Amino acid sequence: MSVPIVRYKAELRKAIRRNAMEPEINFLNITAMLDIMTIILVFLLKTLGESTAAVPQSDDLRLPKSVITTEPPQDGVVVTVSKTQILVGDQRVVALPSRESMVQTGVGASFKRNGPSDLYVVPLGNALQAAGKTDKLIRAAKGLDSSSSDAVIIADETTPYRLLMEVIFTLGQSGFGKYNMMVIQSKQAPGNIN
Amino acid sequence: MDQPGQLSAAQRSRIRRLSQPKELNPDEEGGELNIVPFLDIVMNILIFVLATVAVTFTASIESTPPSLGGAGVRSDIKSEALNLTILIVNEGFSLKASGGNIATGCNGVGAGLAIPRNSGRYDYKALNECVQKLKGSNPEFADENQVTISPNPATPYSDIIAVIDAVRQTAQGEKLFDDVKFGVVR
Repeated sequence: MSVPIVRYKAELRKAIRRNAMEPEINFLNITAMLDIMTIILVFLLKTLGESTAAVPQSDDLRLPKSVITTEPPQDGVVVTVSKTQILVGDQRVVALPSRESMVQTGVGASFKRNGPSDLYVVPLGNALQAAGKTDKLIRAAKGLDSSSSDAVIIADETTPYRLLMEVIFTLGQSGFGKYNMMVIQSKQAPGNIN
Repeated sequence: MDQPGQLSAAQRSRIRRLSQPKELNPDEEGGELNIVPFLDIVMNILIFVLATVAVTFTASIESTPPSLGGAGVRSDIKSEALNLTILIVNEGFSLKASGGNIATGCNGVGAGLAIPRNSGRYDYKALNECVQKLKGSNPEFADENQVTISPNPATPYSDIIAVIDAVRQTAQGEKLFDDVKFGVVR
């Protein structure tokens, strides 16, 4: 004969109590942390992508160091002078000769109208005028003075002055009233007099 | 045979079965995605971005291009001003003011290179002291902040920036010449 059903139920309750486990945490709720991190990531990537301050450093393009602490410019046509080429925006306009040749004749006579001593670089001037038109439209839309454009020069630290002068001269001839030269802030700059 | 008062084998087995803690089905476990690999990637990108940002703190030096025609630099300063020009040559710095060439050692007007190289290196400290001295030589020069820099064609960009840094302000932070123009050699 089996025991009464009441006894059986009591035994069952006791066994369930005995075997009951503590509620186990088998995953962390990291959704909130993930939200914050995603927002920071998107914000940083956006800031980095938008500013002209984002200059990748490589062997071909290494900015000079300076003690200056001014803010980098927010807009303007970007002219990049690396060791091997000149770019306007992302477009390559001139491939550069060797450094020795650049000291003598800058970009070389083939890119100029009146021989090697001319300072106006024709392909650079053409690209700058096209970029300048776009920049003026942007400036007008932003409500800024659109009579002249700003340029941002990103040049390698070894660029000889002869080449830099041709770039600056071509900028002036192409209707750019002001330019900013990008440098990297550093206390170890050679011109630091402190 | 079961003893009286004892649970039967079938009852014991039911108790064992029913008292086991319930295992949840995989699709009942709170519906959480495994985002750990995603989180790893996000963390890596975040650290990379932060590291890159910290390295490239850029600044900019403002100037105006030479005037149309290339005859010289744009100059909107009066004729009795200091009109300082710094020539960067291979041997050092040559300084020219409206009075004439600055003599070696920065002592008044005279022939020679104002600041020759010091043990093979450009002497930026001496250049800074010299322009400070020149600016202080006449109260009329106090408001003047324009300087023309004329480097050699072979002078690297980093040396030009170093000269701009050296003439920008004194060691005490007083402003010297922060409006830089470039000389165009024809």
